[in-house]
Amino acid sequence: MSWASWRRIRQAAQILFFVFFIILIFAVVQKRVAPPLADIFFRLDPFAAVGAMLGSRQWIPKLGLALLTVGVTLIIGRVWCGWICPMGSLLEWVSFRKARQRAETISQRWRLVKYFLLATSLALALFGGLTLLVFDPIAIFTRTLTTTLLPALFYAINSIENVLYRVDLLTPALDGFEGLMRGTVLPVEQPAFAQNLAIAALFFGLIALNLLAHRFWCRYLCPLGALLGLLSKVSLFRPVIGTACTQCTRCAIVCKPGAIDTNPEDFHIMPSECTICLDCMANCKPGDIRFRFLLKPAQREEFDISRRQALEAFATGAAGALLLGTDLRLREENPWRIRPPGVTDENDFLSTCIRCSQCMKICPTTALQPAFTQAGLTGTWTPLLVPRVGYCDFGCNACGQVCPSGAIPRLPLEEKRQAVIGKATIDRNRCLPWASGMPCIVCEEMCPTPQKSISLEEAQVIDSNGQTITVKRPSVWRDLCIGCGICEHYCPLEGSAAIRVYDA
Amino acid sequence: MTRRPPISRRTFLKLTATVAAGAALAGCAPKQGSTIPTEASVTRINPTIPPSPTTGINTTGSSTAETSPTETSSNPEPSSTSSPAYLAVVHGPDPAAITRAAIEVLGSIASFVSSGYDVIIKPNICTDYHPPEYATTTNPTVVGTLVSVCLEAGAKRVRVMDFPFGGTAKSAYAISGIADAVEAAGGEMHVMSHSKYTKVDIPQGRDLHSVYIYPDILEADLLINVPIAKDHGSTRLTLGAKNLMGVILDRNMMHMNLSQRIADLTSLVLPTLTVIDAVRILTANGPTGGDLGDVKQMDTVIASRDIVAADAYATTLFGLTGSDIGYIQACADMGLGSMDLSNIDLREISLG
Repeated sequence: MSWASWRRIRQAAQILFFVFFIILIFAVVQKRVAPPLADIFFRLDPFAAVGAMLGSRQWIPKLGLALLTVGVTLIIGRVWCGWICPMGSLLEWVSFRKARQRAETISQRWRLVKYFLLATSLALALFGGLTLLVFDPIAIFTRTLTTTLLPALFYAINSIENVLYRVDLLTPALDGFEGLMRGTVLPVEQPAFAQNLAIAALFFGLIALNLLAHRFWCRYLCPLGALLGLLSKVSLFRPVIGTACTQCTRCAIVCKPGAIDTNPEDFHIMPSECTICLDCMANCKPGDIRFRFLLKPAQREEFDISRRQALEAFATGAAGALLLGTDLRLREENPWRIRPPGVTDENDFLSTCIRCSQCMKICPTTALQPAFTQAGLTGTWTPLLVPRVGYCDFGCNACGQVCPSGAIPRLPLEEKRQAVIGKATIDRNRCLPWASGMPCIVCEEMCPTPQKSISLEEAQVIDSNGQTITVKRPSVWRDLCIGCGICEHYCPLEGSAAIRVYDA
Repeated sequence: MTRRPPISRRTFLKLTATVAAGAALAGCAPKQGSTIPTEASVTRINPTIPPSPTTGINTTGSSTAETSPTETSSNPEPSSTSSPAYLAVVHGPDPAAITRAAIEVLGSIASFVSSGYDVIIKPNICTDYHPPEYATTTNPTVVGTLVSVCLEAGAKRVRVMDFPFGGTAKSAYAISGIADAVEAAGGEMHVMSHSKYTKVDIPQGRDLHSVYIYPDILEADLLINVPIAKDHGSTRLTLGAKNLMGVILDRNMMHMNLSQRIADLTSLVLPTLTVIDAVRILTANGPTGGDLGDVKQMDTVIASRDIVAADAYATTLFGLTGSDIGYIQACADMGLGSMDLSNIDLREISLG
């Protein structure tokens, strides 16, 4: 088979994996049950795996699958980047005409940034901080789709429907569409997420950088690419330019990641930058670029991280860990830092959560929201349960099922129902029956525990007409309350609820 | 080969303007139409009710609930055995059989469903927490049987829907067992979409004068309300009228004056048939349940054209009376039905 047809196969693989990724996103959106393979891309991601394992100081069997990616990379290089990674594929497809010329003006030394980022991230992880895992490419893409792109899409569809429903003629067609999509592909409630603008800015910023160079992110920034690049330096099969080379530079022109060093003295392919896209092979006039079996590690590049720089990166990570770890936010009792069900220890959680946002994606009530600084800067974009936005569904344990690193434990439903997320407390100064003598027991009605965690006592009060009426006043049985937050969610009081869940 | 020139900007804008103008025109017209269902539904519901004791109550809103049934029961129409009962109470171990029997006692399904009818069944599927044994959601066999009965009578389509407050519609439909039962019977589970809710006036409303409601509920040829009888914190029991809260968007505002607002909503929706599932009832920790110790097997189905009478009878299963439940009293006060069980044609039968 010719290199051109292999290249076709690669392009097909990219599309296939990309579509699979998107299908998985839709399959996971606001479902109560995790579909199989829901977290497969994260499980294949060695950067997330190494980070989570260093951070939590344990072997996480689920993430062991990343060894497969490591193995493949050790055999044939960054196949992940050129064939599988949906973020990489997207960045390859969004290409700008002038990017190649512009890239020539960027010093190759900038490629160091990704290695520096990798070393800093892993050093930070070694000290228990996974903050920099927010830059994992799969996490970036998943998080952006979850919190910004999909909600925007659903909003657009709902808005169009709202207009079209005013036209009687279209009602049957719309009803058909609704019957097909609502509750399956389209969520019943419009999702909305905190931090969506910041998350979108990062994502679109990375795409905009493609204006400067093809696959800018993959070349200069991606920490996962850096990890796989280092492994590629010792991979068994590497693309090598043969002796028939005329230095025509056709290969360098077509190379999207710019992995070909065109220095006439040393014209070669840099294995650490090569994404095995096969474009050079398909375009080589003499047809003399091919895979060679090599045991000797690849030569050093000018931008490779030096020992000194590695130590600097390590020191940066360590210093970051010290600063992030002494954030007051981590020390003070933070009432709103409510974690997903089953999470017991905040520090363990912060050092295991890979910031992938899978839990936010699957939460049927969008209760799980990306944090900003509620858990310190170290907890940026980790999931928080925000009951006023959504409650923890008593019949659902999906977040633990999709969590790739086990930061949210995978609890059977019966155990999840007993996992204490927080404790509800009633503010009697605001609660309608307590403060205003108005009948309301929504919290008690909603409370899902088999024995209600909210008790009611009757009291005689005088209403605005001077009539003596009987109202029922709610109180929380603390020992029964699991902190699911449905009481806070449905509390009819305007503004913040009169019953609130506090981290326990 | 000559390529067709691409559409020019001017042509594109012209086309867009034409389409937009058309859409705007079309969009303006049905604006009034969307408020029509209020009256339309009321007028449509009444003719579907065959001459029976209920008619007097439904049409004459001013007459008091107590007097009209006494009038009708004093002059019973044809033979007392075959005439449709006002309220059917059927006991028996087979939920399907007692459901069918209850409909028969009310005068056969043909008196409710004509050929080509679009039927909506509104069970109570409040959460996705527990399977049906926990008596938090309507018995799936009762719902499935009603779907079958309607389709057998020639209904064009039978849709089953509710808007759960705990979990998503799809998951609640599945856990409740209702999705399986309905689909096996040939009906469809329908997910209520936010986009469709329409603001509708409540002409008879005393406290609630308008509400955002799912329009299909008002437009259906037949609405069958199928609550499960269970405990409820604020109203003591959730029954037929309370079950109607599932068709509106903003339930929080209902709690400000719950009993009256439920009655106001009932006056708007007024289901043609109410079938109360009391196969199992939940006696405490409702409406969410979760403890089998709170579930009581009653093997009973209650049915009536009069939602108030059905609710009033169901309270007796809990050792209460209709006047103990605020919204039943409020419904009766508004003349929506009779909660006086002594003066109606109540037919109670037991099967095997």
